Amino acid sequence: MSTPGAKIAQAAAPAAQPYRRHIVGLPLQRSIFGLTASAATTIALPGLSSALDFPARLDENGDLFLDRSKVAALTKILLAWFTPENLHVMQTTHAAACASLVHASENAARVATSLDGASAKKLSEDLAGKLTLVMVYGILSKFVPDVLLRALADVGDTEPPAFPEKSAGSGLLQDTLTLYQACCALGYPPQRLRHEWPRVSPEVFHLLGEFCQRQRGFGPLAWDSPGYEDPNYVVRLLHSAFHEVDVERVRQRFSFAGKPAVTHSADAPKEVAALRRVLGFWLDFLERETWYVRRAFYIGMIPLLRQMEEEFRQKVPNFQLMDLLFLDIRELAAGIAEPAVIHERRQRYLDNTEYLSLHGVDARRVATMLGKS
Amino acid sequence: MSEEASTTVHSGVAAAPGRASGKAYVIRNAEDIMAVPAGCILVLRILHPHLAPLLPRVAGLVVEEGAILQHATTLARECGIPAVVGLRDARILLHNGDSLEVDGFIGQVIARHLA
Repeated sequence: MSTPGAKIAQAAAPAAQPYRRHIVGLPLQRSIFGLTASAATTIALPGLSSALDFPARLDENGDLFLDRSKVAALTKILLAWFTPENLHVMQTTHAAACASLVHASENAARVATSLDGASAKKLSEDLAGKLTLVMVYGILSKFVPDVLLRALADVGDTEPPAFPEKSAGSGLLQDTLTLYQACCALGYPPQRLRHEWPRVSPEVFHLLGEFCQRQRGFGPLAWDSPGYEDPNYVVRLLHSAFHEVDVERVRQRFSFAGKPAVTHSADAPKEVAALRRVLGFWLDFLERETWYVRRAFYIGMIPLLRQMEEEFRQKVPNFQLMDLLFLDIRELAAGIAEPAVIHERRQRYLDNTEYLSLHGVDARRVATMLGKS
Repeated sequence: MSEEASTTVHSGVAAAPGRASGKAYVIRNAEDIMAVPAGCILVLRILHPHLAPLLPRVAGLVVEEGAILQHATTLARECGIPAVVGLRDARILLHNGDSLEVDGFIGQVIARHLA
């Protein structure tokens, strides 16, 4: 196909460049994500764990590197490893890792205020371990679904991929639309809401608070980048999403709700059915992976950090709660905090204007993100 | 008055079927999502689920990263928005205000750049 006077443009990325730049910047988050390679060896996949030469690493700038040669090698191994039995184990193990993180996050939220500093440290280390494990699947999700699709093609399956019936994103969209309509009904269309926030009616203030509580976890992967836990972010997003938009048209766009998922034919061979089932699971995970990681921090880790504050304050002069974000998870668990190291890390973080701008982090963010919710 | 300077055709992966046209709006940082013009073609590195509420306002999507089995594909298909993904360096090749035609059937983006 050609267009008169047109040129075909398709640039290739240089091999030495990171897969993703500046994915995380806070030392605490970076240290937890940095443990993925070692965590990968703990995944119990029969006959595969020892061969799992993990293809990703995170450098000290928070850049993610993906080793394509290792991905190619792992792809070859996986194609031979995909049997219905192994696929079942893969899905079960993966689901258990996600469920375990959700449980640990909720448990931390529930018990944090009753814990002393030492217990909070122990629980934070446990939560970080579960978080790292889900991150392993997050890295694998960058290529395993494609390998599954290739395996399906190899056995002659040509049906569309098993896209989720209703993704996490569409659920969020629906809830946001509901919030928008409720605010409008209370006399606060997006422009007024943005202009007057937070000096709005108690009903609207309450609605926003409830929404943020419910959708806490949605947002960028970097914890310091504002997301749905922050009412200011939601108010601005409502304005961007719905200001001067035809509501009827938005409702029409929602016609996808309830659309049946693409699944496998009932009479598909066992091998094809297993591949499609697991592919559907991975596609659903793709929609939720960031939510798992962010929610664990906002509902689980933050209350635990608050419980540790006093202990660190007694050890370190002028210690502030936000200083905990500049510790390595192992330092946090061991109760080690060197003021000079914290200062140096914080300064390097604040000097990284490219990162801060990319993630929408302003000067107050690091202090306010740990504030009482 | 602007003058049409050039037309380029870019190939990516057909992620969500349909055709759409509109002005390019390029997301370069977190702040840019707070001012998305209605009816635009959103050009971004990756479409994460937390950006889903913006989708009813956009006509089409051009995404740098991703393949047929990535976030953007699922969301765009659900919302019925034509999308081309895996178009590397889209945020360099396309500029705010460019007139774009997105063909989500064949994974092609035609850009008319303004001088």
